[in-house]
Amino acid sequence: MSKDPLVPMQSLAAAGFLAGVAAVFFWVPTEAFQGVAQRILYVHAPAAWVAYLAFGVVLVCSIAYLRTGDVRWDWVAHASARTGVLFTALNLVTGMLWGRPIWGAYWAWDPRLTLTLVLLLIYLGYLIFRANASDQTRGARIAAVIGIAGFMVVPLVHFSVDWWRGQHPSRTVIRPEAGPALPAEMQIVLGGMMLVFTLLYLVLLALSVRVLKLEADVMELESLSLENTVLRSRPAG
Amino acid sequence: MRAVLALAAKDLRAESRAKQIAPVMMVFALCLVFLLTFALPPGALRAPVPEPRAGALAAREITGLLLWTTIFFAGVIGFGRSAAVDREGSAADGLLLAPVDPAALYTGKLLGNLAFLTAAELVAIPLFMLFANIPARGLLPGLIPVIVVANLGLASVGTLFGAATQHAEAKSLMLPLLTFPLALPVILGASKLTSTLLIENGFGVEGRWFILLAVFDVIFLTLGAVTFEFVIEE
Repeated sequence: MSKDPLVPMQSLAAAGFLAGVAAVFFWVPTEAFQGVAQRILYVHAPAAWVAYLAFGVVLVCSIAYLRTGDVRWDWVAHASARTGVLFTALNLVTGMLWGRPIWGAYWAWDPRLTLTLVLLLIYLGYLIFRANASDQTRGARIAAVIGIAGFMVVPLVHFSVDWWRGQHPSRTVIRPEAGPALPAEMQIVLGGMMLVFTLLYLVLLALSVRVLKLEADVMELESLSLENTVLRSRPAG
Repeated sequence: MRAVLALAAKDLRAESRAKQIAPVMMVFALCLVFLLTFALPPGALRAPVPEPRAGALAAREITGLLLWTTIFFAGVIGFGRSAAVDREGSAADGLLLAPVDPAALYTGKLLGNLAFLTAAELVAIPLFMLFANIPARGLLPGLIPVIVVANLGLASVGTLFGAATQHAEAKSLMLPLLTFPLALPVILGASKLTSTLLIENGFGVEGRWFILLAVFDVIFLTLGAVTFEFVIEE
Protein backbone atom coordinates (compact mmCIF):
# COMPACT_ATOMS: atom_id res chain seq x y z
CA MET A 1 0.00 0.00 0.00
CA SER A 2 1.18 3.47 -0.80
CA LYS A 3 1.78 5.69 2.22
CA ASP A 4 0.91 8.78 0.21
CA PRO A 5 -1.98 10.55 2.01
CA LEU A 6 -3.10 11.95 -1.34
CA VAL A 7 -4.14 8.53 -2.65
CA PRO A 8 -7.16 8.02 -0.37
CA MET A 9 -8.21 11.62 -1.05
CA GLN A 10 -7.99 11.04 -4.76
CA SER A 11 -10.00 7.83 -4.51
CA LEU A 12 -12.62 9.58 -2.42
CA ALA A 13 -12.86 12.46 -4.89
CA ALA A 14 -13.14 10.05 -7.84
CA ALA A 15 -15.80 7.93 -6.14
CA GLY A 16 -17.72 11.02 -5.05
CA PHE A 17 -17.57 12.45 -8.54
CA LEU A 18 -18.93 9.25 -10.11
CA ALA A 19 -21.70 9.03 -7.53
CA GLY A 20 -22.52 12.73 -8.01
CA VAL A 21 -22.71 12.45 -11.80
CA ALA A 22 -24.88 9.34 -11.50
CA ALA A 23 -27.22 11.21 -9.14
CA VAL A 24 -27.36 14.17 -11.53
CA PHE A 25 -28.32 11.95 -14.45
CA PHE A 26 -30.59 9.37 -12.83
CA TRP A 27 -31.82 10.45 -9.42
CA VAL A 28 -32.49 14.16 -9.17
CA PRO A 29 -35.89 15.29 -10.59
CA THR A 30 -36.00 17.31 -13.81
CA GLU A 31 -36.70 21.00 -13.30
CA ALA A 32 -40.17 21.96 -14.58
CA PHE A 33 -39.36 25.08 -16.62
CA GLN A 34 -35.84 24.51 -17.89
CA GLY A 35 -35.95 20.76 -18.36
CA VAL A 36 -32.77 18.75 -18.64
CA ALA A 37 -30.61 21.83 -19.20
CA GLN A 38 -30.93 22.75 -15.53
CA ARG A 39 -28.92 19.65 -14.57
CA ILE A 40 -25.74 21.44 -15.63
CA LEU A 41 -26.20 23.58 -12.51
CA TYR A 42 -24.78 20.72 -10.43
CA VAL A 43 -21.44 21.25 -12.18
CA HIS A 44 -21.75 24.97 -12.88
CA ALA A 45 -22.42 26.23 -9.34
CA PRO A 46 -19.78 24.06 -7.59
CA ALA A 47 -17.22 25.20 -10.18
CA ALA A 48 -18.05 28.84 -9.35
CA TRP A 49 -17.74 28.14 -5.62
CA VAL A 50 -14.34 26.47 -6.08
CA ALA A 51 -13.13 29.31 -8.30
CA TYR A 52 -13.93 31.89 -5.61
CA LEU A 53 -12.42 29.68 -2.93
CA ALA A 54 -9.26 29.24 -5.01
CA PHE A 55 -8.81 32.97 -5.59
CA GLY A 56 -9.47 33.64 -1.91
CA VAL A 57 -6.66 31.19 -1.14
CA VAL A 58 -4.42 33.05 -3.62
CA LEU A 59 -5.12 36.27 -1.71
CA VAL A 60 -4.43 34.82 1.73
CA CYS A 61 -1.29 32.95 0.65
CA SER A 62 0.01 35.99 -1.27
CA ILE A 63 -0.27 38.16 1.83
CA ALA A 64 1.34 35.43 3.94
CA TYR A 65 4.18 35.10 1.41
CA LEU A 66 4.91 38.83 1.38
CA ARG A 67 4.91 38.91 5.17
CA THR A 68 7.03 35.83 5.83
CA GLY A 69 9.01 35.27 2.63
CA ASP A 70 8.37 31.54 3.05
CA VAL A 71 8.34 30.05 -0.44
CA ARG A 72 5.77 27.42 0.53
CA TRP A 73 3.08 30.10 0.73
CA ASP A 74 4.00 31.08 -2.80
CA TRP A 75 3.66 27.51 -4.06
CA VAL A 76 0.16 27.26 -2.59
CA ALA A 77 -0.82 30.65 -4.08
CA HIS A 78 0.55 29.70 -7.49
CA ALA A 79 -1.07 26.26 -7.43
CA SER A 80 -4.38 27.74 -6.28
CA ALA A 81 -4.36 30.28 -9.12
CA ARG A 82 -3.84 27.46 -11.65
CA THR A 83 -6.69 25.46 -10.19
CA GLY A 84 -8.89 28.54 -9.92
CA VAL A 85 -8.40 29.39 -13.59
CA LEU A 86 -9.34 25.84 -14.52
CA PHE A 87 -12.58 25.98 -12.53
CA THR A 88 -13.42 29.50 -13.74
CA ALA A 89 -13.13 28.26 -17.30
CA LEU A 90 -15.30 25.26 -16.45
CA ASN A 91 -17.86 27.59 -14.88
CA LEU A 92 -17.92 29.82 -17.98
CA VAL A 93 -18.20 26.94 -20.43
CA THR A 94 -21.01 25.20 -18.51
CA GLY A 95 -22.76 28.57 -18.14
CA MET A 96 -22.65 29.10 -21.88
CA LEU A 97 -23.94 25.59 -22.57
CA TRP A 98 -26.85 26.33 -20.24
CA GLY A 99 -27.41 29.78 -21.74
CA ARG A 100 -27.87 28.52 -25.30
CA PRO A 101 -31.16 26.62 -24.65
CA ILE A 102 -32.41 28.87 -21.83
CA TRP A 103 -31.45 32.39 -22.96
CA GLY A 104 -31.22 31.52 -26.63
CA ALA A 105 -27.58 32.63 -26.80
CA TYR A 106 -24.27 31.28 -25.60
CA TRP A 107 -23.14 34.63 -24.36
CA ALA A 108 -24.98 37.52 -22.70
CA TRP A 109 -23.28 40.48 -21.06
CA ASP A 110 -24.95 39.54 -17.85
CA PRO A 111 -23.14 40.99 -14.80
CA ARG A 112 -22.19 37.61 -13.42
CA LEU A 113 -20.84 36.31 -16.71
CA THR A 114 -18.90 39.51 -17.22
CA LEU A 115 -17.43 39.37 -13.73
CA THR A 116 -16.40 35.74 -14.24
CA LEU A 117 -14.72 36.62 -17.54
CA VAL A 118 -12.83 39.47 -15.87
CA LEU A 119 -11.71 37.09 -13.11
CA LEU A 120 -10.45 34.67 -15.75
CA LEU A 121 -8.49 37.50 -17.41
CA ILE A 122 -6.96 38.67 -14.11
CA TYR A 123 -5.71 35.25 -13.08
CA LEU A 124 -4.68 34.26 -16.60
CA GLY A 125 -2.57 37.42 -16.48
CA TYR A 126 -1.19 36.24 -13.13
CA LEU A 127 -0.21 32.86 -14.61
CA ILE A 128 1.22 34.33 -17.81
CA PHE A 129 3.25 36.77 -15.74
CA ARG A 130 4.62 33.93 -13.63
CA ALA A 131 5.55 31.99 -16.74
CA ASN A 132 7.44 35.02 -18.06
CA ALA A 133 9.09 36.24 -14.87
CA SER A 134 12.82 36.44 -15.49
CA ASP A 135 13.73 35.88 -11.83
CA GLN A 136 11.86 33.33 -9.72
CA THR A 137 11.98 35.10 -6.34
CA ARG A 138 11.15 38.50 -7.74
CA GLY A 139 8.49 36.92 -9.96
CA ALA A 140 6.91 35.34 -6.88
CA ARG A 141 6.86 38.66 -5.00
CA ILE A 142 5.29 40.54 -7.89
CA ALA A 143 2.82 37.73 -8.50
CA ALA A 144 1.76 38.06 -4.86
CA VAL A 145 1.03 41.75 -5.48
CA ILE A 146 -1.05 40.78 -8.53
CA GLY A 147 -2.86 38.15 -6.45
CA ILE A 148 -3.76 40.73 -3.82
CA ALA A 149 -4.75 43.45 -6.31
CA GLY A 150 -6.77 40.94 -8.34
CA PHE A 151 -8.93 39.98 -5.42
CA MET A 152 -9.40 43.55 -4.19
CA VAL A 153 -10.73 44.70 -7.52
CA VAL A 154 -13.45 42.02 -7.59
CA PRO A 155 -16.16 44.00 -5.69
CA LEU A 156 -15.48 47.05 -7.86
CA VAL A 157 -15.73 45.05 -11.07
CA HIS A 158 -18.93 43.56 -9.70
CA PHE A 159 -20.52 46.97 -9.19
CA SER A 160 -19.27 48.35 -12.47
CA VAL A 161 -20.61 45.53 -14.62
CA ASP A 162 -23.85 45.61 -12.66
CA TRP A 163 -24.30 49.35 -13.19
CA TRP A 164 -23.15 49.37 -16.79
CA ARG A 165 -26.50 48.36 -18.25
CA GLY A 166 -29.15 50.26 -16.33
CA GLN A 167 -30.26 49.61 -12.80
CA HIS A 168 -30.82 45.94 -12.12
CA PRO A 169 -30.28 43.85 -15.22
CA SER A 170 -29.55 40.72 -13.23
CA ARG A 171 -33.12 40.56 -11.96
CA THR A 172 -34.40 39.60 -15.40
CA VAL A 173 -32.29 36.49 -15.48
CA ILE A 174 -33.80 33.19 -14.47
CA ARG A 175 -31.94 32.06 -11.40
CA PRO A 176 -32.78 28.47 -10.62
CA GLU A 177 -30.74 28.52 -7.44
CA ALA A 178 -32.65 31.51 -6.07
CA GLY A 179 -36.03 29.84 -6.46
CA PRO A 180 -38.11 29.22 -3.34
CA ALA A 181 -37.05 26.02 -1.55
CA LEU A 182 -35.48 23.59 -4.00
CA PRO A 183 -36.75 20.02 -3.67
CA ALA A 184 -34.76 17.98 -1.17
CA GLU A 185 -33.14 15.82 -3.87
CA MET A 186 -31.83 18.90 -5.65
CA GLN A 187 -30.41 20.31 -2.42
CA ILE A 188 -28.70 17.04 -1.58
CA VAL A 189 -27.15 16.65 -5.03
CA LEU A 190 -26.04 20.28 -5.15
CA GLY A 191 -24.56 20.10 -1.64
CA GLY A 192 -22.88 16.80 -2.46
CA MET A 193 -21.37 18.15 -5.65
CA MET A 194 -20.10 21.19 -3.74
CA LEU A 195 -18.28 18.84 -1.37
CA VAL A 196 -16.93 16.68 -4.18
CA PHE A 197 -15.67 19.74 -6.06
CA THR A 198 -14.03 21.11 -2.93
CA LEU A 199 -12.29 17.78 -2.45
CA LEU A 200 -11.25 17.76 -6.11
CA TYR A 201 -9.86 21.28 -5.64
CA LEU A 202 -7.81 20.17 -2.65
CA VAL A 203 -6.43 17.18 -4.57
CA LEU A 204 -5.49 19.30 -7.58
CA LEU A 205 -4.02 21.95 -5.28
CA ALA A 206 -1.87 19.38 -3.48
CA LEU A 207 -0.68 17.84 -6.75
CA SER A 208 0.10 21.23 -8.21
CA VAL A 209 2.03 22.29 -5.10
CA ARG A 210 4.01 19.05 -5.42
CA VAL A 211 4.87 19.86 -9.04
CA LEU A 212 6.01 23.36 -8.07
CA LYS A 213 8.17 21.98 -5.28
CA LEU A 214 9.74 19.45 -7.66
CA GLU A 215 10.40 22.22 -10.19
CA ALA A 216 12.15 24.24 -7.47
CA ASP A 217 14.19 21.17 -6.48
CA VAL A 218 15.20 20.52 -10.07
CA MET A 219 16.32 24.11 -10.48
CA GLU A 220 18.39 23.92 -7.34
CA LEU A 221 20.02 20.67 -8.50
CA GLU A 222 20.73 22.19 -11.89
CA SER A 223 22.45 25.19 -10.37
CA LEU A 224 24.42 22.89 -8.05
CA SER A 225 25.58 20.68 -10.91
CA LEU A 226 26.50 23.79 -12.89
CA GLU A 227 28.65 25.00 -9.99
CA ASN A 228 30.30 21.58 -9.78
CA THR A 229 31.05 21.59 -13.49
CA VAL A 230 32.62 25.01 -13.19
CA LEU A 231 34.68 23.91 -10.19
CA ARG A 232 35.86 20.71 -11.88
CA SER A 233 36.76 22.43 -15.13
CA ARG A 234 39.20 24.65 -13.25
CA PRO A 235 42.79 23.59 -13.78
CA ALA A 236 44.15 21.86 -10.68
CA GLY A 237 46.76 23.59 -8.56
CA MET B 1 7.20 64.94 0.60
CA ARG B 2 10.35 66.62 -0.68
CA ALA B 3 11.51 63.27 -2.01
CA VAL B 4 8.20 62.78 -3.84
CA LEU B 5 8.46 66.15 -5.56
CA ALA B 6 12.14 65.62 -6.36
CA LEU B 7 11.30 62.29 -7.99
CA ALA B 8 8.46 63.71 -10.04
CA ALA B 9 10.67 66.63 -11.07
CA LYS B 10 13.39 64.18 -12.13
CA ASP B 11 10.96 62.36 -14.43
CA LEU B 12 9.67 65.61 -15.92
CA ARG B 13 13.17 67.00 -16.41
CA ALA B 14 14.35 63.81 -18.09
CA GLU B 15 11.31 63.88 -20.32
CA SER B 16 11.76 67.54 -21.21
CA ARG B 17 15.24 66.67 -22.49
CA ALA B 18 14.81 63.21 -23.99
CA LYS B 19 11.11 63.43 -25.01
CA GLN B 20 10.69 59.67 -25.15
CA ILE B 21 7.36 59.21 -23.39
CA ALA B 22 4.67 61.85 -23.97
CA PRO B 23 5.16 62.29 -27.75
CA VAL B 24 4.87 58.52 -28.26
CA MET B 25 1.65 58.50 -26.23
CA MET B 26 0.27 61.41 -28.24
CA VAL B 27 0.97 59.87 -31.64
CA PHE B 28 -0.35 56.51 -30.50
CA ALA B 29 -3.51 58.21 -29.20
CA LEU B 30 -3.88 60.03 -32.52
CA CYS B 31 -3.84 56.69 -34.36
CA LEU B 32 -6.52 55.29 -32.06
CA VAL B 33 -8.62 58.46 -32.28
CA PHE B 34 -8.44 58.20 -36.06
CA LEU B 35 -9.59 54.57 -36.12
CA LEU B 36 -12.28 54.78 -33.48
CA THR B 37 -13.96 58.04 -34.52
CA PHE B 38 -13.87 56.71 -38.09
CA ALA B 39 -16.43 54.13 -36.93
CA LEU B 40 -18.97 56.72 -35.77
CA PRO B 41 -21.87 57.62 -38.07
CA PRO B 42 -21.01 61.00 -39.68
CA GLY B 43 -22.39 63.96 -37.78
CA ALA B 44 -24.15 61.79 -35.21
CA LEU B 45 -22.66 63.76 -32.32
CA ARG B 46 -22.90 67.26 -33.75
CA ALA B 47 -26.10 68.48 -32.07
CA PRO B 48 -25.90 69.31 -28.35
CA VAL B 49 -28.83 67.05 -27.40
CA PRO B 50 -29.78 63.72 -28.94
CA GLU B 51 -31.93 64.23 -31.96
CA PRO B 52 -34.40 61.60 -33.12
CA ARG B 53 -32.04 60.72 -35.97
CA ALA B 54 -31.18 57.06 -36.21
CA GLY B 55 -27.87 56.25 -34.63
CA ALA B 56 -27.50 59.54 -32.77
CA LEU B 57 -28.24 58.02 -29.37
CA ALA B 58 -26.34 54.82 -30.02
CA ALA B 59 -23.33 56.84 -31.14
CA ARG B 60 -23.38 58.77 -27.88
CA GLU B 61 -23.64 55.59 -25.88
CA ILE B 62 -20.48 54.15 -27.39
CA THR B 63 -18.52 57.39 -27.63
CA GLY B 64 -17.43 57.32 -23.98
CA LEU B 65 -15.97 53.86 -24.36
CA LEU B 66 -14.20 54.83 -27.60
CA LEU B 67 -12.58 57.84 -25.93
CA TRP B 68 -11.50 55.94 -22.82
CA THR B 69 -10.22 52.99 -24.84
CA THR B 70 -7.93 55.50 -26.53
CA ILE B 71 -6.82 57.02 -23.25
CA PHE B 72 -6.33 53.65 -21.57
CA PHE B 73 -4.05 52.27 -24.28
CA ALA B 74 -2.13 55.52 -24.68
CA GLY B 75 -1.70 55.50 -20.90
CA VAL B 76 -0.41 51.93 -20.85
CA ILE B 77 2.20 52.82 -23.51
CA GLY B 78 3.33 55.75 -21.38
CA PHE B 79 3.43 53.88 -18.05
CA GLY B 80 5.49 51.13 -19.63
CA ARG B 81 7.89 53.61 -21.23
CA SER B 82 8.34 55.64 -18.08
CA ALA B 83 9.24 52.52 -16.06
CA ALA B 84 11.51 51.22 -18.83
CA VAL B 85 13.36 54.53 -19.04
CA ASP B 86 14.26 54.25 -15.34
CA ARG B 87 15.57 50.75 -15.87
CA GLU B 88 17.46 51.43 -19.09
CA GLY B 89 19.20 54.46 -17.61
CA SER B 90 19.93 52.49 -14.42
CA ALA B 91 18.05 55.18 -12.50
CA ALA B 92 16.06 52.35 -10.88
CA ASP B 93 19.23 51.10 -9.14
CA GLY B 94 20.01 54.57 -7.83
CA LEU B 95 16.47 55.00 -6.55
CA LEU B 96 16.69 51.70 -4.70
CA LEU B 97 19.87 52.85 -2.97
CA ALA B 98 18.42 56.24 -2.05
CA PRO B 99 17.30 56.48 1.60
CA VAL B 100 13.70 57.07 0.59
CA ASP B 101 10.54 55.27 1.62
CA PRO B 102 9.22 53.01 -1.20
CA ALA B 103 5.82 54.67 -0.79
CA ALA B 104 7.48 57.99 -1.67
CA LEU B 105 9.12 56.38 -4.71
CA TYR B 106 5.71 55.16 -5.80
CA THR B 107 4.06 58.54 -5.27
CA GLY B 108 6.80 60.41 -7.12
CA LYS B 109 6.60 58.03 -10.05
CA LEU B 110 2.81 58.33 -9.95
CA LEU B 111 2.97 62.13 -10.21
CA GLY B 112 5.26 61.86 -13.23
CA ASN B 113 2.93 59.37 -14.89
CA LEU B 114 -0.07 61.57 -14.15
CA ALA B 115 1.68 64.45 -15.89
CA PHE B 116 2.43 62.31 -18.97
CA LEU B 117 -1.11 60.99 -19.10
CA THR B 118 -2.57 64.49 -18.83
CA ALA B 119 -0.23 65.74 -21.55
CA ALA B 120 -1.39 62.94 -23.85
CA GLU B 121 -5.01 63.75 -23.05
CA LEU B 122 -4.48 67.41 -23.86
CA VAL B 123 -3.82 66.22 -27.40
CA ALA B 124 -6.09 63.18 -27.57
CA ILE B 125 -9.32 64.62 -26.17
CA PRO B 126 -9.49 67.77 -28.36
CA LEU B 127 -8.60 65.68 -31.41
CA PHE B 128 -11.24 63.15 -30.50
CA MET B 129 -13.85 65.90 -30.19
CA LEU B 130 -12.70 67.40 -33.44
CA PHE B 131 -12.85 64.17 -35.43
CA ALA B 132 -16.11 63.05 -33.83
CA ASN B 133 -17.69 66.48 -34.32
CA ILE B 134 -18.52 66.85 -30.64
CA PRO B 135 -19.30 70.45 -29.63
CA ALA B 136 -16.83 71.07 -26.81
CA ARG B 137 -18.60 74.06 -25.30
CA GLY B 138 -20.56 73.14 -22.18
CA LEU B 139 -18.94 69.71 -22.04
CA LEU B 140 -15.66 70.58 -20.33
CA PRO B 141 -16.95 71.53 -16.83
CA GLY B 142 -18.49 68.09 -16.55
CA LEU B 143 -15.65 66.23 -18.24
CA ILE B 144 -12.81 67.62 -16.11
CA PRO B 145 -13.81 65.88 -12.84
CA VAL B 146 -14.22 62.63 -14.80
CA ILE B 147 -10.72 63.00 -16.21
CA VAL B 148 -9.25 63.75 -12.78
CA VAL B 149 -10.65 60.70 -10.98
CA ALA B 150 -10.06 58.40 -13.95
CA ASN B 151 -6.46 59.55 -14.47
CA LEU B 152 -5.67 58.89 -10.84
CA GLY B 153 -7.10 55.37 -11.14
CA LEU B 154 -5.29 54.54 -14.39
CA ALA B 155 -1.98 56.00 -13.21
CA SER B 156 -2.13 54.26 -9.82
CA VAL B 157 -2.52 50.84 -11.47
CA GLY B 158 -0.12 51.70 -14.31
CA THR B 159 2.66 52.94 -12.02
CA LEU B 160 2.54 49.80 -9.88
CA PHE B 161 2.43 47.33 -12.74
CA GLY B 162 4.66 49.37 -15.02
CA ALA B 163 7.43 48.82 -12.48
CA ALA B 164 6.34 45.22 -11.85
CA THR B 165 6.48 44.13 -15.48
CA GLN B 166 10.02 45.42 -15.97
CA HIS B 167 11.28 42.10 -14.70
CA ALA B 168 9.36 39.92 -17.12
CA GLU B 169 10.06 38.72 -20.62
CA ALA B 170 7.81 40.35 -23.20
CA LYS B 171 7.16 43.17 -20.74
CA SER B 172 5.41 45.42 -23.24
CA LEU B 173 2.81 42.68 -23.70
CA MET B 174 2.58 41.90 -20.02
CA LEU B 175 1.61 45.41 -18.92
CA PRO B 176 -1.66 45.77 -20.88
CA LEU B 177 -2.50 42.15 -20.08
CA LEU B 178 -2.33 42.84 -16.34
CA THR B 179 -3.69 46.38 -16.27
CA PHE B 180 -6.72 45.84 -18.50
CA PRO B 181 -8.80 43.62 -16.20
CA LEU B 182 -7.67 45.50 -13.08
CA ALA B 183 -8.41 48.94 -14.51
CA LEU B 184 -11.72 47.83 -16.02
CA PRO B 185 -13.85 49.60 -13.36
CA VAL B 186 -12.07 52.87 -14.23
CA ILE B 187 -12.51 52.41 -17.97
CA LEU B 188 -16.19 51.53 -17.58
CA GLY B 189 -16.87 54.30 -15.06
CA ALA B 190 -15.19 57.06 -17.04
CA SER B 191 -16.89 55.86 -20.24
CA LYS B 192 -20.33 55.77 -18.67
CA LEU B 193 -19.89 59.24 -17.19
CA THR B 194 -18.66 60.64 -20.50
CA SER B 195 -21.50 59.09 -22.50
CA THR B 196 -24.09 60.23 -19.98
CA LEU B 197 -22.70 63.74 -20.18
CA LEU B 198 -23.09 63.63 -23.96
CA ILE B 199 -26.66 62.35 -23.78
CA GLU B 200 -28.12 64.22 -20.81
CA ASN B 201 -25.78 67.17 -20.39
CA GLY B 202 -25.41 66.07 -16.77
CA PHE B 203 -24.82 62.92 -14.77
CA GLY B 204 -28.14 62.21 -12.99
CA VAL B 205 -28.20 58.81 -11.38
CA GLU B 206 -24.95 57.81 -13.12
CA GLY B 207 -23.14 60.22 -10.80
CA ARG B 208 -22.75 57.20 -8.51
CA TRP B 209 -19.81 56.16 -10.71
CA PHE B 210 -17.82 58.97 -9.14
CA ILE B 211 -18.04 57.14 -5.81
CA LEU B 212 -16.90 53.89 -7.39
CA LEU B 213 -13.98 55.62 -9.11
CA ALA B 214 -12.99 57.41 -5.91
CA VAL B 215 -13.06 54.13 -3.98
CA PHE B 216 -10.95 52.54 -6.71
CA ASP B 217 -8.44 55.41 -6.51
CA VAL B 218 -8.13 55.10 -2.73
CA ILE B 219 -7.73 51.30 -2.86
CA PHE B 220 -5.07 51.32 -5.57
CA LEU B 221 -3.14 54.29 -4.22
CA THR B 222 -2.93 52.53 -0.87
CA LEU B 223 -2.08 49.19 -2.45
CA GLY B 224 0.59 50.81 -4.63
CA ALA B 225 2.18 52.64 -1.72
CA VAL B 226 2.18 49.54 0.48
CA THR B 227 3.33 46.96 -2.07
CA PHE B 228 5.72 49.03 -4.20
CA GLU B 229 8.68 47.88 -2.13
CA PHE B 230 8.04 44.23 -3.09
CA VAL B 231 7.83 45.20 -6.75
CA ILE B 232 11.12 47.10 -6.96
CA GLU B 233 13.18 45.18 -4.40
CA GLU B 234 16.14 43.30 -5.90
